[in-house]
Amino acid sequence: MIWLRQALAVLAKDWRTELRTRHALHTIALFAVTTLVTVSLALGPAGVSSAERTTTLPVILWIILLFAAAAGLPRSFVAEEEGHTADALRLSALPSAIFAGKAAFSIGLLWGLELLLTPLFLAMMDLPVGAPAALVLILLLGALGLAVASVLVAAMVAQARSRGALFPVLAFPLLLPLLMMAVELTRGAVVGGLDLNVLQQLVLYDASLTVGGLMLFPVIWNP
Amino acid sequence: MKTLLRWSLWLWISLCICGAFLYAPLAEGFVGQSSRILFFHVPMAWGAFVAFITAGVYAILYLKRRRPEDDRRSEAAVQIGLLFCVLATITGALWARVMWGAYWNWDPRQASIVIVLVFYAAYLVLRDAVEDPETEARLASVYAVLGLIVAPFFFFVLPRIVQFTLHPDSVINDRGSVDMESRMLQVLLAGAIGFTALFFWILRLQTRLAALEGRRRHRGLLS
Repeated sequence: MIWLRQALAVLAKDWRTELRTRHALHTIALFAVTTLVTVSLALGPAGVSSAERTTTLPVILWIILLFAAAAGLPRSFVAEEEGHTADALRLSALPSAIFAGKAAFSIGLLWGLELLLTPLFLAMMDLPVGAPAALVLILLLGALGLAVASVLVAAMVAQARSRGALFPVLAFPLLLPLLMMAVELTRGAVVGGLDLNVLQQLVLYDASLTVGGLMLFPVIWNP
Repeated sequence: MKTLLRWSLWLWISLCICGAFLYAPLAEGFVGQSSRILFFHVPMAWGAFVAFITAGVYAILYLKRRRPEDDRRSEAAVQIGLLFCVLATITGALWARVMWGAYWNWDPRQASIVIVLVFYAAYLVLRDAVEDPETEARLASVYAVLGLIVAPFFFFVLPRIVQFTLHPDSVINDRGSVDMESRMLQVLLAGAIGFTALFFWILRLQTRLAALEGRRRHRGLLS
């Protein structure tokens, strides 16, 4: 019970500080929209030819999500170190509760981003979706793994020297399998199906990252 | 005793090389002599696999016991594993050129080996980015354990997701049987054993070297 209360407290604290500065929110949202506009503009009025649409566009959607996450999510721990609040946080909550709270915050942020980006993306790219419910499920599950891995890597990066460049270097190899599965599933959802086999792998990957994170985060967090 | 072991390793590897070219027959369905690269490609990939597992095991040991030599072994194992992995990639690409007509065509196996390469290269970058030796060892160990968690996905799951692989069956295939001419199998297994022994020998040397370098750096700081 204490664990849950602490995790919720960390989540509430992160949301409150976020709503005061809106740093991550603005960065992530604007980054995603700018990238979407850039991609859409670069493709030109014709866009992607209809034959290649279902294979190409899901890739672009997930790349935008991945890079937006890399732009906004590392802040959460770097800010703790830079604001010298990390030690206070270390004293006031269990490590795994901090991990859960931070992960929940990142998941919320990414889900919000997807809520904003996906309709815009589908409209701008003129991509009809065959199975909208499946797409929502995939987006939710994909963001979960993305957020959990990002929190883990962000906590590591906050203790290193070259913080900005290090995050993508460490996070992308960890996220590549997730990205491949998510893209594969999104392609299916656009056409109108859901490959349960791949979905199972995605859930398994999310679960291993979460369990691994809960086990490893205390080691990262406590020097 | 050590000299004897070293010489027998030399003899064993020499026999494997001779066996690959003179003793083993050519495999059916392969262009020309191209199947012979298998006797080096497979043991190298196996060696890389053993190396990364070893790195993960020593990383867990380091996180449990906090002895610097465990971390040195883990780092050395990653370095050697990367070397094996690069060699396996190159031999695979050469063979792909002969058999499939192109060095690179993103076969699922090639995709997963590239992710593994990028992952462990990121491990070395992480080590460089952290200044404090204790933090470096701790974070690197966490990353190596993360590698252990996601490695099954690289090696076993991803190649299954994309169905159209051209890669020949693994030594032990889906049917759980060994479909290989017995002389070829002998050379292949001997190669795998030889490369495993070679890995552990280089690991010892590399660990000793790292320990000596560490001691010298320490003394340099003191004087």
